Amino acid sequence: MIIRFILVIIEILLFYLLQTSVFPYFALAGVVPDLLMILTVSVAFTRGRIQGMLTGLAAGLLMDFCFSSIVGFYGILYLVTGYLAGFSHKIYDRNDYTLPLILVGVSELIYNLLYFVVFYMLQGRLNFGYYMYRFTVPRVIYTVLLSIIIYKLLNMQNVAIMKLCDED
Amino acid sequence: MRRRVKKKISINPKYVFGACIIICAALLVLSYKYEEQFAPVKNAVGNIITPMQRGIGSVGDYISSKFKIFSDIDELIVENEKLKEELEEVKNINQMLTQEKYELNWYRDLYELDRQYIDYEKVAAKVISREPNGYCNVFIIDKGSDDGIKKDMNVLSGNGLVGIITEVGKNWSKVRAIIDDFSSVSGMFLKTSDTCIVNGNLELLDDGYISVEMISKNAEIYDNYEVVTSYISDKYLPGILIGYVSNIRPDSSNMSKEAYLTPVVDFEHIEAVLVITELREELVDLNEELNSDN
Repeated sequence: MIIRFILVIIEILLFYLLQTSVFPYFALAGVVPDLLMILTVSVAFTRGRIQGMLTGLAAGLLMDFCFSSIVGFYGILYLVTGYLAGFSHKIYDRNDYTLPLILVGVSELIYNLLYFVVFYMLQGRLNFGYYMYRFTVPRVIYTVLLSIIIYKLLNMQNVAIMKLCDED
Repeated sequence: MRRRVKKKISINPKYVFGACIIICAALLVLSYKYEEQFAPVKNAVGNIITPMQRGIGSVGDYISSKFKIFSDIDELIVENEKLKEELEEVKNINQMLTQEKYELNWYRDLYELDRQYIDYEKVAAKVISREPNGYCNVFIIDKGSDDGIKKDMNVLSGNGLVGIITEVGKNWSKVRAIIDDFSSVSGMFLKTSDTCIVNGNLELLDDGYISVEMISKNAEIYDNYEVVTSYISDKYLPGILIGYVSNIRPDSSNMSKEAYLTPVVDFEHIEAVLVITELREELVDLNEELNSDN
């Protein structure tokens, strides 16, 4: 349990740093992939609702503290996605590499929709089609593509710890 | 069957979820209400994260520069040829300009315009991280209060306005670019002194524009006129170049005009910036003092 905790903390930090400082150099179509979303969904899928939402909360709050003027928006957004994605833990299979990709895609989509509602719709900017086509879709695609590799690594780590701690 | 000895604590995830939502909501309200009390916490987080970002950023920089070597070599050869030709032309023009400069200096003395923004004190800084979403144009630079940077200082790159400092930490500060959706700058046409408001716009940005609004209906302005920061702005120092207008048309209410503006700064490839370590407020205060003395 402690190993997991430390590892997740390190991973959140690492992914956050990659997302803000390295991936802007590799932005495609002007968007940066959402690594923290991949991490949140992977943890939720492999470990369940509680750990999923806590990971999401930690990742979201980190972003909040570093980037937004009001703390809590990202926290809630990631918390909700982590919680919802956690329901899929019931059908977790360590050899299933397709479902998590779909999960990441759907989560990213929902996250972006919520973001649009909070930051744009409430400000009276209603150009939904443009926003979808220009930002959301490329972002979802880029994130899903990256999650192919990252989920595989995270799942390997999960299985290794399971064996190490002799959990079922 | 052997049972597990260790007691397993089980809480319904629903309750944890509820508790977390409440915590977040509380944070939202608190941070909104007591923004100043939250600043030290944010600063502390920033102070820990920033050195790491600086380190990892240089790794990204290194890797992307290596990639670039392969992809750019053909382009560079062509570009080099072009640049050589251009250089010849520019040399020629430069000579003319140096001659004209003397003339200009003379005019400047005449109009007492020599206190332009050229002689503001500046601090150079490097961009070390960007907003994780890519929707906002907010970034973090590697200089903070240690280097004398304060909130609301103006940020330049090359000869154009980049944005304004919105938050300062010990060794980092946050810059909101003028192309950000929520940015709004009071501007002025250099030639006619008509004022306007320059707003960031996510949609127009794709074509390289931001929007200019609230131009007086009677303003005689044309494409490619320069827009600079105005004298009436309370945060921006006057006379900093923002960009060039185009596509001027009456706005929907027909009471004023609106236009597009091409910023002079290349925001996509911004890596280093200059921060003017002089605040607008100081200038205003001095003027007020003078007025009150009189």
